[in-house]
Amino acid sequence: MAISLAFGLVSLRYPIGHFSRAGPGLFPLSVSCLLFLIGLFTVVRARFVERVPLDFKVKNIAIILASLCGFAVVSEHLNMIAGIVFMVFCASFAGTASYSVIRNLKISAGLIAVALAFQKLLGFNLPLY
Amino acid sequence: MDVLHNLALGFAVALTWQNLLFCAIGCMVGTLVGMLPGLGPLATISILLPLTYSIPTGGALIMLAGIYYGAQYGDSVSAITMKIPHASSIVACIDGYQMTLKGKTGLALFTAGVSSFIGGSVAIVVLSFLAPMLGEVALLFGPADYCALMLVGFVCVSFVTTGSLLNGMAMCLIGVLLGQIGTDVNSGTQRFTMNMPFLADGIGLVSIALGCFGIAEITKNLDNKDERTPFSGTIKLIPTWPEFKRIFPSALRGSVIGSFLGILPGGGPVIAQFAAYAVDKKVSKYKDEIGTGCIEGVAGQAAADEAAARTSFIPLMSIGIPENAVMALMMAAFMIKGIQPGPNMIAGHPDLFWGLVASMWVGNCFLLILNVPLVRYWLTVFKIPYSVLFPSILFFCCIGTYSINNSLDDVFITATFGFIGYMFLRLGLDAAPLMLGFILGPMLEENMRRALLLSRGSFTTFITRPISGTLLGLIGIFIAWQVVAFYLQARKTTARHQQPA
Repeated sequence: MAISLAFGLVSLRYPIGHFSRAGPGLFPLSVSCLLFLIGLFTVVRARFVERVPLDFKVKNIAIILASLCGFAVVSEHLNMIAGIVFMVFCASFAGTASYSVIRNLKISAGLIAVALAFQKLLGFNLPLY
Repeated sequence: MDVLHNLALGFAVALTWQNLLFCAIGCMVGTLVGMLPGLGPLATISILLPLTYSIPTGGALIMLAGIYYGAQYGDSVSAITMKIPHASSIVACIDGYQMTLKGKTGLALFTAGVSSFIGGSVAIVVLSFLAPMLGEVALLFGPADYCALMLVGFVCVSFVTTGSLLNGMAMCLIGVLLGQIGTDVNSGTQRFTMNMPFLADGIGLVSIALGCFGIAEITKNLDNKDERTPFSGTIKLIPTWPEFKRIFPSALRGSVIGSFLGILPGGGPVIAQFAAYAVDKKVSKYKDEIGTGCIEGVAGQAAADEAAARTSFIPLMSIGIPENAVMALMMAAFMIKGIQPGPNMIAGHPDLFWGLVASMWVGNCFLLILNVPLVRYWLTVFKIPYSVLFPSILFFCCIGTYSINNSLDDVFITATFGFIGYMFLRLGLDAAPLMLGFILGPMLEENMRRALLLSRGSFTTFITRPISGTLLGLIGIFIAWQVVAFYLQARKTTARHQQPA
């Protein structure tokens, strides 16, 4: 319902037009209204079905997102090889019980080799160094 | 005899050494993806989509198609040996794993491999004959009919993937709204861009696909901490003649069922497997043994799985409407390469269409070799620990998303959709309808605006046209059935709660 309101209210700012000559706001507004209705039905339905506990673990998703964002930031300010090494070392904190620096170094070396192959053989424009 | 002539053209394209190589790579990657946890065909095609930019159009499509149907083959191997279905082979776990417990792993793998080959071959014949015919029918479709057809696709995919029409439709509509971000092609107005220049061209398809399927799936696997014991039993592949004979009737039944269900909107390998298994349970000569680990329980579903994966290309290539999320991604691959799938594609790009069809048969032969005589080597793949695998998948996600526009902003967008996808996953919402909505949303808008323009704003055009009227009628009946089913279920639950203890 929040998503439908976000899109629906913003689409009111664009010309709506009329059905025979629709403006850019008409279609998103119609879809938002439909989504709002579905949201409403879902809320009503939720009153009739049994509650299910939400299984949400913050740690792993936070580490994965941090490693992705870190990859982008390090690649932008340093280079992509450093970004790959950061990503591997950061991501390995997620999920695994044993953290091994040597294993991470080996994975990083393998991935850097793949990235170099992409750059040299497939012509990818990767700012590796 | 036109079909034979066209197939000869297709084989001439598919048998060039470059296309053979791309087909082999696609089948190998597909098999690998089918076996490994955490990566389905959807995520893999998303990751490899940017890598195909530098590959010729025909080769790129042949490779991506190989990944899709190769994953169906590979998936059954992990289902049979370790009872772990990753992409779709849920049904293979039932009898396939029972056969492993009985020490007949080799027979089960042989049955699955040969049946998949039969299923794939039958589906290619169906594809060769039906796609051009359906393409001619599609020329009768007007904008209102396309709208109705897309809505049927939304409803079917929503129900099939999530099991709840409301949840699925909500995801579809969120996808449609995300597809609205960017510049409106009719008026040039920038919609929902929040004055951010990189949103003017809309959100990248690959960013959404990788976020919702790749990143979210990796995190889910890490949360589950599934430690798997690799299969270490012995494999005797060659069956006896009586065992070999039992494969064919079931595989042919499965092929027909799979070929038919693959064409329907929302259909695909999963439904086809269940249907083939159910039919075998009713009509097979050995129906009493099904469920306890028998050949028929593996053969029918494996053939149906593979057949449906191939025939699901028919609606995409002949009408231009993808019927599931993987096909929606394939459609994106076609469009990236400058080809609009639809009725004009077969006539306009015969080399591409028939080359792809012929490559499927070549791929079928590759997969038979990979999955029957070489299967014992593939089983060593299970020994790769997930702690090594997931940083590599993340790397491919990053490189894939970066290389679309050579922009690191796209990595941030992927991370955002990774979080959104993870939230959806934890809320029990499947992202596949969102993907379909995202890709079909702009097409739906375009056709709806065109239909209303032609009818001078009258919605009756959707009902008076026979094709769209019939399709919308079907949607109406389906929704009414869902409402009645929910009402009856709610009444039953209330009655159970009111019963005295």
